[in-house]
Amino acid sequence: MSELVRPVVWIHADCLSPQHPALLAYPGAPALFVWDEALLSSLRISLKRIVFLYECLLELPVSIRRGDVAAEVLAFASEQQADGVVTSASPSPRFAAISAQIAAQRPLRVLPVEPFVQIEQRLDLARFARYWRAVEARALNTFPEDTV
Amino acid sequence: MPKDMRRDFADRAELVAYLAAEFPAAAAESAAVSATRGGRRAAEALLTAIQPARYASTRNFLDGAVTRLSAYLRHGVLSLAEVRRAALRAETRPAEAAKLISELAWRDYWQRVYAVIGDGIWEDREPYKTGLEAAAYAQELPADIAAGTTGLACIDAFSRELVDSGYMHNHARMWLAAYVVHWRRVAWQAGARWFLTHLLDGDPASNNLSWQWVASTFSHKPYVFNRENLERYSGGIYCRACPLRLQCPFDKSYEALQAELFPGGAPAATPPRRRQ
Repeated sequence: MSELVRPVVWIHADCLSPQHPALLAYPGAPALFVWDEALLSSLRISLKRIVFLYECLLELPVSIRRGDVAAEVLAFASEQQADGVVTSASPSPRFAAISAQIAAQRPLRVLPVEPFVQIEQRLDLARFARYWRAVEARALNTFPEDTV
Repeated sequence: MPKDMRRDFADRAELVAYLAAEFPAAAAESAAVSATRGGRRAAEALLTAIQPARYASTRNFLDGAVTRLSAYLRHGVLSLAEVRRAALRAETRPAEAAKLISELAWRDYWQRVYAVIGDGIWEDREPYKTGLEAAAYAQELPADIAAGTTGLACIDAFSRELVDSGYMHNHARMWLAAYVVHWRRVAWQAGARWFLTHLLDGDPASNNLSWQWVASTFSHKPYVFNRENLERYSGGIYCRACPLRLQCPFDKSYEALQAELFPGGAPAATPPRRRQ
C-alpha cells in the first residue's frame, strides 16, 4: 500500500494512550472514537465502564461519536477528505470485522503496538507455563544478549 | 459538528449526568460510578507508585500492594511493555520484579490465545474436569449472587464491590468465580458475562479464559478454596460478621470439598492452586 499522506486516525478502546502509534505517526491528524452501540448492548456494558473510557478519551485529541463503527469512521474520513484510515492493532475478532469493512472502502493502515516482549519464535500457547518458560528471560531482561 | 459527542464538562458530575442520559441502557444495568478515574494522568500516578517486591510478597492478600493498573492496561492507556520496564526500574534486581512481570505476562498470554481462537473464548476449551458434564451447569447467574443477597458475607461483599466499583482484587475474583461455578454449578459463561458488564478492566480474553481456568475447561483441575484460605488472605474481615459463619459452605478440608463438589471423583485432592 502506498504511504498515507492525510489519513484520519481511528482510535478504538484497546489503545487509549496519548502515545498511540497512529497519533505519533501522524501528529495533528483528525482522530475519531466511535461508541460501538451493538457491542455496548450485547455485552450489557454498565455506566461506570463508559465513564472510565470517556475520561480516557477526554485526554486524547479525538472526536467522539456513536453508532456503527465502520460507517462512522468512513463518514469521518469522507468529511475530512482523507486518503485513508490509520489505527492500532488488536487481537479482537470484532476489530478484524470492522477493519475489513473499512478496508473494503478506504486504504487502512494498522500499526502494531509495542509488544510485551520481542519474541520471534513460535510460542506454545497450550498452557501458560509453557509460554512463560519461553518468554521469561526476555521479560526479565536476563536473556544473555539483552542489556538491562 | 453536531454529531460529535460533548467534550466540555465543568466537573465529573456533569460528565456522569450526560453519559447517563446518552446511554440509558448502561445506566439501567447499574448507575454506579467508580472512584477510579480514567485517563493517562491517573494511570501514570499509579505507575509511579508500584512496589514490585512488596507486590510479590503481599499480592494474595486483599490489602496487599497490588498495582490497580488493570483497567489502564486493558484499554491500552498503558502498555504492558512500559509497565514491565517500570517494574524493572523500580527494583535493583530483576528477580524482585519477576512476580509482577509474570502477572503482566498472563495478560500477554491471554491476548495471544485470543488472537488464535477469537470468539472461541466463549466456548469450553476443554471438557470440565469436575466429573460433571457441561449440561450439569445452569446457564443463568442466580439472582441472589447478582444482587449480593446470598447471606454469605464474603460473596455478597465481592458482588457489591464488582457492581459498585467495577474493580475486584484478583483473589476475590477467583473465590467468587469458584463459588459461582463449583458451589452453585453455574456455567462459567454466565459469570463471565456478569463480570464484563461491570469490571473496568473487563477484557473478553483475560476474563473468559480466567473463568475457564477456574472452571477447569482451560486447566487440568478445577480451582477451589476453603474458609481457611479466604479467612487468611482477607484478614478475616468477612467471616467475623458473617450471618452464616456457623454454616459456612467453605469451612471444610479440601478432601471434604472434593467429595462434596466433585462427586464424580475426577480430580485428585491436592493443595489449592492459585492463578497468581
